[in-house]
Amino acid sequence: MRIVYNWLREIVPVPDDVDTVAREISLRGFELAAVEQGQEPVIDFEITANRPDCLSHVGIAREAAAIWGIAIAPGSGTRAQGVPSLSRDGSGTTAQSLEVTIEAPDLCPRYCAQVFQVTVAPSPSWLQQRLEAAGVRPINNIVDVTNYVMLEIGQPMHAFDLERLGQHRIVVRRARAKESMRTLDGIDRTLDPDMLVIADAERAVAVGGVMGGADSEISTATKTIALESAYFEPTSVRRSSKRLGLKTEASARFERGSDFELPPRGIARAAELFTQIGAGAPVSPLIDRYPAPREKRRIQLRSARIARLLGQVVPPEDVPRFLKPLGFEVVAKNGHGEWTVTVPSFRVDVVREEDLIEEVGRHYGFDRLPVRFPPLDAAQPPPDPIIVRDRLIRQTLTAAGFSEAMTFAFIERQAALPFCERGVEPTAIQNPLSEKFAALRPSLLPGLIDSCAHNRRRGRKDIQLFEIGSRFTSRGEGCGVAFVWLGAATLSHWSGASRTADFFDAKGTVELLCRAFGVAAIDVAPSSAPYLVGGRAAEVISDRTLLGVLGQLVPAIGEARGLVAGEEVYVGEVDLEVLARVAAGDDLRAQSLPRYPSIVRDISIVVDETLPAASVRGTIRAVAPSTLVSISEFDRYQGKGVPEGRVSLSLRLTFRDPDRTLTDDEVLGAMDRIVEALRTAHRAEQR
Amino acid sequence: MSDSQIDALRADFERDLSTATTVTALRGVRDRYLSRKGGLVSGLLKSLGSAPPDARPRLGKLANDLRQQIETQLDERIAAAEADRPPAGAVDLTLPGRQPALGHRHPLTLLRERIESIFSRLGFLILEGPELEDEYHNFEALNMPPDHPARDMQDTLYLAGPVRSAAGSPATLLRTHTSGMQIRYMEQHKPPVRLIAPGRVYRRDNLDLTHTPMFTQVEGLVVGEGISLADLKGTLFVFLRELFGDQRKLRFRPSFFPYTEPSAEVDISCGACGGTGKSARAPQSGLVAPKLAEASEAGLVAPKFAQGANEGGCNMCKRTGWIEVLGSGMVHPAVFEAVGYDPDRYTGWAFGMGIERTALLKWGVEDIRLFYENDLRFLEQFPL
Repeated sequence: MRIVYNWLREIVPVPDDVDTVAREISLRGFELAAVEQGQEPVIDFEITANRPDCLSHVGIAREAAAIWGIAIAPGSGTRAQGVPSLSRDGSGTTAQSLEVTIEAPDLCPRYCAQVFQVTVAPSPSWLQQRLEAAGVRPINNIVDVTNYVMLEIGQPMHAFDLERLGQHRIVVRRARAKESMRTLDGIDRTLDPDMLVIADAERAVAVGGVMGGADSEISTATKTIALESAYFEPTSVRRSSKRLGLKTEASARFERGSDFELPPRGIARAAELFTQIGAGAPVSPLIDRYPAPREKRRIQLRSARIARLLGQVVPPEDVPRFLKPLGFEVVAKNGHGEWTVTVPSFRVDVVREEDLIEEVGRHYGFDRLPVRFPPLDAAQPPPDPIIVRDRLIRQTLTAAGFSEAMTFAFIERQAALPFCERGVEPTAIQNPLSEKFAALRPSLLPGLIDSCAHNRRRGRKDIQLFEIGSRFTSRGEGCGVAFVWLGAATLSHWSGASRTADFFDAKGTVELLCRAFGVAAIDVAPSSAPYLVGGRAAEVISDRTLLGVLGQLVPAIGEARGLVAGEEVYVGEVDLEVLARVAAGDDLRAQSLPRYPSIVRDISIVVDETLPAASVRGTIRAVAPSTLVSISEFDRYQGKGVPEGRVSLSLRLTFRDPDRTLTDDEVLGAMDRIVEALRTAHRAEQR
Repeated sequence: MSDSQIDALRADFERDLSTATTVTALRGVRDRYLSRKGGLVSGLLKSLGSAPPDARPRLGKLANDLRQQIETQLDERIAAAEADRPPAGAVDLTLPGRQPALGHRHPLTLLRERIESIFSRLGFLILEGPELEDEYHNFEALNMPPDHPARDMQDTLYLAGPVRSAAGSPATLLRTHTSGMQIRYMEQHKPPVRLIAPGRVYRRDNLDLTHTPMFTQVEGLVVGEGISLADLKGTLFVFLRELFGDQRKLRFRPSFFPYTEPSAEVDISCGACGGTGKSARAPQSGLVAPKLAEASEAGLVAPKFAQGANEGGCNMCKRTGWIEVLGSGMVHPAVFEAVGYDPDRYTGWAFGMGIERTALLKWGVEDIRLFYENDLRFLEQFPL
């Protein structure tokens, strides 16, 4: 709201300069958008949604009156009397009749109108300048006066060309089915049956509280006008404005709640201004349709409650001093710091005691309130396990060289599709910002792939990124961690060439996460995920539940997002709800260290290259004694000395008995049985 | 042998000695001058016979002195060079070491964990919750009925159809704040309540320098008997001073939120201009400042920010000397009624702040979108 400094000073003679006035008022809850110095200084305040009364100079003047303890000047349309001075007749002119009927009192509880004989012309320059300073374009003296009254006292008004109103009638009603009209901005609009319209005998001539019609617009030919000043229900105006996509100065005020006592004063002030600038004179009595007058709210205010909420005792004599200039009537009760406060009709935001306490606090000054610390009267519960979990994931993955990324939870539908379950559409957003943000991500990978491509396009060759976040599948909202790995597996160093990351780096990352969470055992199985390269795609399974997926990204997917062809990208994603379920609990029992030595035996065998290592291990386990405590593959070799289609596999077997020292003969016997079993099961030849 | 021969040999030796720096070179010099066979000094001594007999004793002494001198000097230099020689197996200490790869946490995580640790210490529970919400928990329970004008302030992203949220209930929208979690918590727990609720939230804002349609928020809530606005001030002062530094001044300003009454916004004195509103000094908050010039070259941060100078007043605070950091207030009694707390018995306060915005202020990052591009050159500027 642009407040013209000199206009404000006409209403309330504030004794300070523009900057001081701006600062003092802003500290009472009106954020400063700008202060414009110059010939006509302007202070631009941001008015919060609860204070429509301050979308006017008088509204801000009341705040100033409370701050500086000075009274609002009489005149300036602020007179409290409901009866305007020029309302009853227009002596010497032909009386004009206007008939006003409210058919929808639920949407329009009060409608005032008066007929004026006018001479349409440009406004005098002082009036034009003031409007311009306040940010409103001058049009002609009639429209300018309605805008002036709105900016001054807060009552939006509208002038109809009386001759354009059929039968000189105004009917305030709901729109009829398929009714349409052309609004002042020249657009033909179809109205909904629950929209409030102002109509003449036949058709709609304005959308109530939003905008007038082009048909009854004031023109230079206009001789008589019907001046409207009404109270429209906020929800009705809000709905119409939203439905029509039409926001106006009037709708902004009505939809937040205007003052139901203000309509007649609006007309009175307009009449005063018409006379002052010679624009016209009333030719009908004031018509005031107000079938069910409203009561003002009364609220009990207690000093003790003020102290409880603000944490500070406000001297009882200060309370009326703050509230009365703002328009509240304050009557002391019993003289013990209790009051009955009558809320002025323009304060739509004040409905309970807390609202009044805010008024007291605002004008007492939040900065004067003491600074305390809330007593701790109960032990703090343990932190949410999700927070503990996420911290452990971050520790583990950053230690493995991954940097943490954050990406948007909504992505392009096309980018989401390969990551959705078969035949399932991604979760769509009803009102997305754009196609780029139209679907909720079914996986964290599309966002990470984009971040990877962003870095690659900027010349980065080695990229390790991970993200922890929400993802949305047919089961609903869930949480996952995902990673992408492109380029070097280890940092490059002058001492030797670095290796490029491959499937086993990705698998190792998932294994590392499982280790960090104490997951007892995981299995892998081939995955048919459409975004992974076949043969290099694995499902990670723990406790017969799918824990995650990992493998090489299908090159076409990466290339479509800007990654370089020919560079292998490895990805993985783990379901965090499953991880939490299969993670080791808090009941760890430490094992004693072995007391007897172990015996280590290496064995090298040649088997078919397609034979999984897991089968070899299985065969060994099946025939080995319980003293075999570990098997590890330490070499895999193909080439000179190994026949085509075969592979040399070297394994290290460790034997140990917890209760005694093993003998060489025992281990030798076990090794013989193992070699024999491998030969039988896998045609394995010992090298 | 003559005096001039002795002097010439001394001069030759001085020159050879000065150019020999390694043990090997010095030994070469020794061989050249002192070797019994073919050494220059030995040769000189052998030529003593050719000198006139009366000069022989004097020249012989001179030649022997020279020999003595050369020996002493060479011994000293060889000993010194041997002491300087690196021991066997020595490496070039100046070559770069072999570092294990180490990733960086995201700056928003750093800040979030910092905030969590401050509030943890102050006895607050840290609460996580679903990002999908229903209208009741996102709006209605927070004193925003369907036609409430305040819903305009937060343009909401709606789902095309209901989806099961992480809380297990059907959801229709992406939460616009983390307040829904607080409602859920109060529905299930009696006062006292003392918690913060960090998390990602969504608004229908287009991407620009200061807006992203998804961002991170921390909200706080304290409910009990006798909780007042003074407690809110005290807690936020402790929190903000720890986050931004002791030298910052703080200011409480009335404002409006539907779910608090009274409501207040909190400003801190501008770090760029020291609260004067005048032309800014170089960013002082430290962490990123040394890297800003670099980041500016890389196009990550606007150059004017890297310089920190601005004609005609401070750009950071728009010449006001103050920067808004969060919104807060006393919990509206309608919210207590919605969760079944007695508003006559309990009072409480709440606050909410955006982590991205706080990060912009704290680290002098000029474009909020940097947090979501995940450019490693940006991420790696922040501590581990």
